[in-house]
Amino acid sequence: MSDIFRDLFPLLWSGMITGCLYALGALGLVMIFKSSRVVNFSHGNVAGFAAFLIYGFSSGALMQLSWGAAVLLAILAVIAIACLTYAVIAPLVFESDLTATIATLGIGLIAQGATLLIFGADIVSLDLPVPRFGMSVLGLFITGYDLTVLAVAVITIAILFFVVDFTKLGVAFRAISVNPFAAEVCGLNLRSVHLFSWIVAAVLGVVGALLIVPTTFLSVTTVASFMLQAFAAAVIGGFASLPGALVGGILIGVLMNLFTFYVSPEFSSTFLLGVILLALNIFPNGILARVGGSRV
Amino acid sequence: MSDHPASLQNERILPARLALRSDMLNLALIAVLLVLPFLLGGSWVFSLGLCFANAIGVLSVSVLVRYGGEVSIGHTFFAAVGAYSVAVLDTRYGLSVLFSLPLALALGVVSGIAFAWPSRKLSGIYLAVSTMALALAVPELINNMDGLTGGYEGLYVATPAVPGIPMGLQRYYVALLVLAAAVYGVSRLRNSRQGLVLLLSKTHPAAADAFGTRQVWARVAVMGISGGIAALCGAMLGFAGSTVSPSGFTFWSAIFLLVGSVVSFYGLTLWRALLGGAFLTLVPQLLSSSGAWIPVFYGVALLAMILAGHYLPRLRAIAAKRKGDE
Repeated sequence: MSDIFRDLFPLLWSGMITGCLYALGALGLVMIFKSSRVVNFSHGNVAGFAAFLIYGFSSGALMQLSWGAAVLLAILAVIAIACLTYAVIAPLVFESDLTATIATLGIGLIAQGATLLIFGADIVSLDLPVPRFGMSVLGLFITGYDLTVLAVAVITIAILFFVVDFTKLGVAFRAISVNPFAAEVCGLNLRSVHLFSWIVAAVLGVVGALLIVPTTFLSVTTVASFMLQAFAAAVIGGFASLPGALVGGILIGVLMNLFTFYVSPEFSSTFLLGVILLALNIFPNGILARVGGSRV
Repeated sequence: MSDHPASLQNERILPARLALRSDMLNLALIAVLLVLPFLLGGSWVFSLGLCFANAIGVLSVSVLVRYGGEVSIGHTFFAAVGAYSVAVLDTRYGLSVLFSLPLALALGVVSGIAFAWPSRKLSGIYLAVSTMALALAVPELINNMDGLTGGYEGLYVATPAVPGIPMGLQRYYVALLVLAAAVYGVSRLRNSRQGLVLLLSKTHPAAADAFGTRQVWARVAVMGISGGIAALCGAMLGFAGSTVSPSGFTFWSAIFLLVGSVVSFYGLTLWRALLGGAFLTLVPQLLSSSGAWIPVFYGVALLAMILAGHYLPRLRAIAAKRKGDE
């Protein structure tokens, strides 16, 4: 019995760290969904492409730049991709969100193929330039990586919520997510707000990808499969709620961690399916539908 | 996500004369396909068999879109159910596809209903993401039931349906027969009372409620039908392709089925289904030397078809207007 508890807290901690990353991915999906009602299935593949770009720019495979410059360049590239993606699917957005959603699958396939074509199917490693240290606090072993993830996630999410709550663009974004027609009548430009959410989502995706890659190796499918948990997080949080995405992400991170440790690592996708179906049956509009879903 | 892809709006019954013409076209197509193995080499016959199997899969996704208004990224699950019922009965009990096909169909319908029941309240993106999770779970489940499924290595299907006929021809003709039967069944559904009820339930839920059709029932029924057809696809993938392994039922296979359905414009006719099936089977063969181009090509094709579906009617309208002005 005491063994179970000895493992429990480290598991909760590491689950929460991973959960923050899922939340970053889920927030990107929710940003896009809230403004344009499109589920962006290309999110993971494009973020994975960005991670490869950073590797390519900093390792000498494409260029030999410092880590910071590589990240900056990759973010610019991803913003360009986001604009291009939106330009392609923009005509579909107001006609049928389901069609636009399927179109993003096509974008994802192209991003994956482009990664394969440029970088090949090899596995590479991409580290964060953070100090390596570890300390023991109350039986938890906390590493520099953990703290970096936590700090970056908290800062990013704080900035995002500040922008959405207090800036003019954020107000426009909320107005459109509540009632696009009324927002347009009031003189808001739907397209520019859509584009804003696509760009923010793309940047969130890159941040999430950068932070997740050091825990594993970088291959064509790493980031895409990581984003699948982000989908689950967004669904459980209610696809249209930013705080819901945050809570859903941490919930999924913790649950998956507990499940893989105590039950079996081999059935994690099946477990994810079960969690999604169960959560949606109990909370059809996400766990935060009534509590805080309408705030942001 | 309450609306449906724009190309689905024209759900109408063909006039009798047109229907007769399309029947003739279908019969001609089947006649051509019947004699084709005598003109082509063995590898082509094999690929065409797979093409028929994939066409059934495309049909199953299209049925869900047309009758349920929903998109599934998880139909590999039902296909896997069908494929493994054929493969397991074959390797374990030596039973031919004649026995396993009805079982595959039944299991497909049952698993379709079994998935639809817990997801009965879901629609649009919520259902799409659930089916995505379903597709992700498939390889995992297959690998972990290796006592039954053979795990990573998979199973080999070798028992002939009719003894005495070369196996290569059987793989081709059985797949063609099942495809034709599936298309025929779907076309019968369109004019049946049941099919009309399902369509009403999709397009006018309130009216369907008034006539006593429960939404939950409609959802479960559509999923059952679609799951059954998908299981036929899997069964034929197993029989025509001779091997069944988890690598045939990955998340990407599920996406490709959806792509095939979009490429066929969700059509339920033999031509359309074959177009989607051919797209799924022949493109990887043509691109087999350059693997990385396959996702790019599928992605571009998917976008091109969607954008064509969006712009072509508009261009046609503009052209018609020009003509009217002159």
